[in-house]
Amino acid sequence: MSARQADHHRPHDRPDDRRIERLYALALRLYPSPFREEYAAPMQQSLRDALADRTFARRSLLAVVTLDLITSLIKEHMTMLRATYGRPALLFNAVVLSGIASGIALALYAIPQHVLRSGANDPQIQLATDASARLEAGTALAEAVPTGDVDMARSLAPFVIAYDDQGRPLASQAKLNGGVPIPPSGVFDYVRQHGEERVSWQPILGTTRGVRIAAVVERVSGAHPGFVLAGRSLREVEVREGWVRIMAGLTWLGMLALIAIGTLVYGRLTRPEPAPAAEIG
Amino acid sequence: MESSPAFTPLTPAVLAILLGLAEGDKHGYAIMKDARTPQGGGVPMGPGTLYGTIDRLIRDGLVEESGLSDDERRRYYRLTSGGRAALASELARLDAAIASARALGLIPTRGRS
Repeated sequence: MSARQADHHRPHDRPDDRRIERLYALALRLYPSPFREEYAAPMQQSLRDALADRTFARRSLLAVVTLDLITSLIKEHMTMLRATYGRPALLFNAVVLSGIASGIALALYAIPQHVLRSGANDPQIQLATDASARLEAGTALAEAVPTGDVDMARSLAPFVIAYDDQGRPLASQAKLNGGVPIPPSGVFDYVRQHGEERVSWQPILGTTRGVRIAAVVERVSGAHPGFVLAGRSLREVEVREGWVRIMAGLTWLGMLALIAIGTLVYGRLTRPEPAPAAEIG
Repeated sequence: MESSPAFTPLTPAVLAILLGLAEGDKHGYAIMKDARTPQGGGVPMGPGTLYGTIDRLIRDGLVEESGLSDDERRRYYRLTSGGRAALASELARLDAAIASARALGLIPTRGRS
């Protein structure tokens, strides 16, 4: 082993060698800039020395250099990424900011969704309360709940249905496939105990599943006890909820992208000077 | 940096570089060339691995630039006392392993012929 053996070899300036050197110089641009600035020149010189050394089999040398280029590129980039972004404070800030952004996006979805859904009950509350009060006051069923022909599957118009105490329909302003749908018995049980229930109801008649309905069910007391249901299609409300969901989702993704960009830029600007490596090799 | 056991076991590339520099100051290509020989560790390495490893060895205080240079692109490196201690520690570890293998008959005993 001779330490200065290589000094005696000088480049022969073969065209192939010059091409290899040019390609290698281009490949060196792929290394992280701090590493490249420090070592690109001596790396190029080492390759030039190796090419000039005829004791090296050219094919074997190129295989070693190519493999080395790939593995060391990955290694140096991983080292740089660890040094730049693997800092606990930086990662902690990014996680906390992402958590806050997720919370804000969730609120941006949940609050308007709740307001839209609650607002969808507005006319039904009044309709159900009025119809219930009129029936309790002895108004005739045909007058309190005049028969109508609202198509529950298509219409956005509010409607009222009266049921007897066993939950059988007595009169209805709306139909679904020619019939009057009946809410689940649990709804009537709840209204018997609490006087009123507000539910999202998807009526099923036979095998037909209708649209979702914002329904308000009121108890009718008095000589002829029963129930009054006032409902309205949630179709438009669900369209608006869909838009709210999309806007909240886009806001969330936008905030996460900003946090990611900010973390990348801040990490790069505050990259610490190389510290002693934990692992050599 | 005298706490050499912290650095052992060394990777083949590190051992070859430290072994090459134990002879004296060398530049990158001379280290690469010596590392390829069986006496130098038999580790074929390219410039990327060489200078990446040297960079980490410098940061760990095992190797330093000697300041000697016959060309601005051809830098010379040398072992520090910490690097020499790390190399000695690694060689002692390998020596113990070889002695153990020899005792088990896994490798032939050295003859006197």
